[in-house]
Amino acid sequence: MANQEDEREEELSAITAIFPELVLDEKNPFKATIDLPVAPASPLTVVFPFPVDGAPPLSNLLTPPGSDNEGRKASAAAPWEIRHLSYLPPLRLHIILPAGYPAEKAPQVQLSTSPAWLPKDVTRNLEAECAELWEEYGHGQVVFAYIDYLQQAAERGFDLAERAGGMLEVAQDMKIALLDFDIEAKREKFEQETFDCGVCLEPKKGSSCHRMVRCGHVFCVPCLQDFYNNAITEGDVASIKCLAPDCGKDRRGNTAQSTQRKKKRERTLNPSELLQIPLERTAVQRYVELKRKKKLESDKTTVYCPRTWCQGPARSKKYPKVTNLSQIVESDSDSETETPPKNEPKDLPPSADRLRICEDCNYAFCRVCLSGWHGEFVRCWPRSNTELTEEEKASYDYIRLHTSPCPTCSSPCQKTMGCNHMNCFQCRTHFCYLCGAWLDAGNPYQHFNQPDKGCYMRLWELEGGDEGNGEVHFDGARGWEAAIAAANEADAAQGNQDQNRDGPAPPGVPPEAPRPPRTDDDPPPVVALQQMQLDEATELENDLWNDIRQRQALDRRLQRPAPQPPQPRRRQRDPAPAAAPAAANAAAPPEPRVGLQRFLQMVRNDEEDGWDSDELEDVDGGWDIPER
Amino acid sequence: MSASKRIVKELTEVTSNPPAGTKVQLVDESDVHVWEVLLDGPEQSVYAGGHFKLLLTLPKDYPFKPPVLNFQTKIYHPNVSNDDKGSMCLGMLRSDEWKPPNKLMAVINMARNLLIEPNPDDAVETAIADQYKSNRQEFEKTARDWTKKFAGRK
Repeated sequence: MANQEDEREEELSAITAIFPELVLDEKNPFKATIDLPVAPASPLTVVFPFPVDGAPPLSNLLTPPGSDNEGRKASAAAPWEIRHLSYLPPLRLHIILPAGYPAEKAPQVQLSTSPAWLPKDVTRNLEAECAELWEEYGHGQVVFAYIDYLQQAAERGFDLAERAGGMLEVAQDMKIALLDFDIEAKREKFEQETFDCGVCLEPKKGSSCHRMVRCGHVFCVPCLQDFYNNAITEGDVASIKCLAPDCGKDRRGNTAQSTQRKKKRERTLNPSELLQIPLERTAVQRYVELKRKKKLESDKTTVYCPRTWCQGPARSKKYPKVTNLSQIVESDSDSETETPPKNEPKDLPPSADRLRICEDCNYAFCRVCLSGWHGEFVRCWPRSNTELTEEEKASYDYIRLHTSPCPTCSSPCQKTMGCNHMNCFQCRTHFCYLCGAWLDAGNPYQHFNQPDKGCYMRLWELEGGDEGNGEVHFDGARGWEAAIAAANEADAAQGNQDQNRDGPAPPGVPPEAPRPPRTDDDPPPVVALQQMQLDEATELENDLWNDIRQRQALDRRLQRPAPQPPQPRRRQRDPAPAAAPAAANAAAPPEPRVGLQRFLQMVRNDEEDGWDSDELEDVDGGWDIPER
Repeated sequence: MSASKRIVKELTEVTSNPPAGTKVQLVDESDVHVWEVLLDGPEQSVYAGGHFKLLLTLPKDYPFKPPVLNFQTKIYHPNVSNDDKGSMCLGMLRSDEWKPPNKLMAVINMARNLLIEPNPDDAVETAIADQYKSNRQEFEKTARDWTKKFAGRK
């Protein structure tokens, strides 16, 4: 007896020396437990069938997979999930060496896995093998031989690959545990390996390396951090990809047809991988934002906020604003289907789809006309970015039509009141408001006293000031205006319009410097001009009202009042009686007309009246210059 | 930092086992960022018999950014700019193509291979590339002349 006990003890202590992971039971010195790792030489193909109609998947597990399962697999191949696992939860062996072992009794063994992924019939067969071995060994010590047998069986994957069409069927509820185990085991193994980092060319332990999720290339963490942080700081999103020189190239070659889309999708890394490496959250955040910005910018359908100080993109479902990193980590931004650029339909979007809200400043606007959101029931038309805004255009037209450029510095000047001897507010040049001629600073009035000059006796013409109704119009243009005019002339249609607007000058005639002096015999051309421009001019007035008043104020400040004694203000500034019928309109008191015009304009634009009614009443007063 | 460690490593590798017909040394022993490469015109190429001096300049953030390769010896080649810089910039030398694991040994080999087989589709000197494609004889004649004239003897 004592001999036998010694034999058991001896064997177990020898086994413990070989397998330090062997655990002896504290109460029973002849009872031991050992976990045997299961890492099949070739990965085990595991199928996780989805429970169909709530049928207990366990039954599948208990019945040994057979030909009938194969039939099922074929019929329901699609919903099954197939994984290849290199590591499976260990096989646990409980072994008891009973009294009488080894001579009389075989060891008692019990095998299990947690979770129970190994089919029962397999474990039963394995257990039975122990007794057989014991017999084979002539009732000798078999523990080591048995463990060795189990290890070999595990390496062969318990020959599971040879049955059931090479697949092991495992219940869905064990899936997570099995996959986790596989991942964890792989990671552990990886950490113990040594890799030559291709960047720093140093051998590094796997624990300080990162394996690229998609392609499996390995680099050391410090190098990846340095490189990616650097690229993100520089905004070089395109570089955030695997560093291996030939990575992705083969795949591109293989998928020649879909090259363009594949290339993009496969290359830049998923932000979650950057966090895994790990990179700082702030850097990853920036990466995500940069990527999104790139996408937004490359998408022609992106609408930007029309506020010039904002210009943020409008909110879009396709590229949601990133507020929280965890959100984007979940969604694989790269695998998102990159919709091929749609050809923007030439038709305007339906009015129900015109509202856009800026994600930055929350401005709600119409994506067609880019003005504030006007509701669905307003017709609007696209505004071209190259066009001047209504306001800018109006200002420009007004300046062209109703100011007289200084013959020296071209500053647009407008007379508010007084005689036609002007003194440029910018350069102090003396000139004639009517014809733009330079005047002798010493005796400026001589110009108006020469009978042979067009401006003879016209010193006080338009004494009340040129209020911008087209009474005086100079064709003189500054350099850039002339250039624009020339460009416009090149464009025939456009040119025509502009010329008509400019006045009776035939298209094609470049704007000339000061108009030839008028003679008193001629009907003043301004009248004809006035007739032609009446419609436009009055229309313009509305938009220009503020502008005009500002200008008036400016001129008042800058222009020295004419040295003449003040005269009663005359509303009809054009002295030519011939103009009476045509001018009657223009000469009418401006208040009602302006108010009406403005109202009509507002109706057209569906605007609200930003003016005080007080202001409207005061409009005429605003034009007056207190007389001194 | 680790960058210069890598450069030293690469330098030892290249000097101890240089690609055929090349010799690499530092211009200034204290600066590992500037390499001088002496490249013999490959026998099978029109540059045979020539000795070309190349300057390989490594940027501060090498290997994250590609090295810069300049031919200091004038050469008649579609991929080398015909100016005082003599720069060669194609393939992996492009900043968008460069990947940190690329090594300078590979760069030198690439330069050498380009002497054997120019790449006229990615040329800096388009006139030379056109000639290379349409009038190979004339190209080879000029290349030989230049080799004799500029790269004959040090």
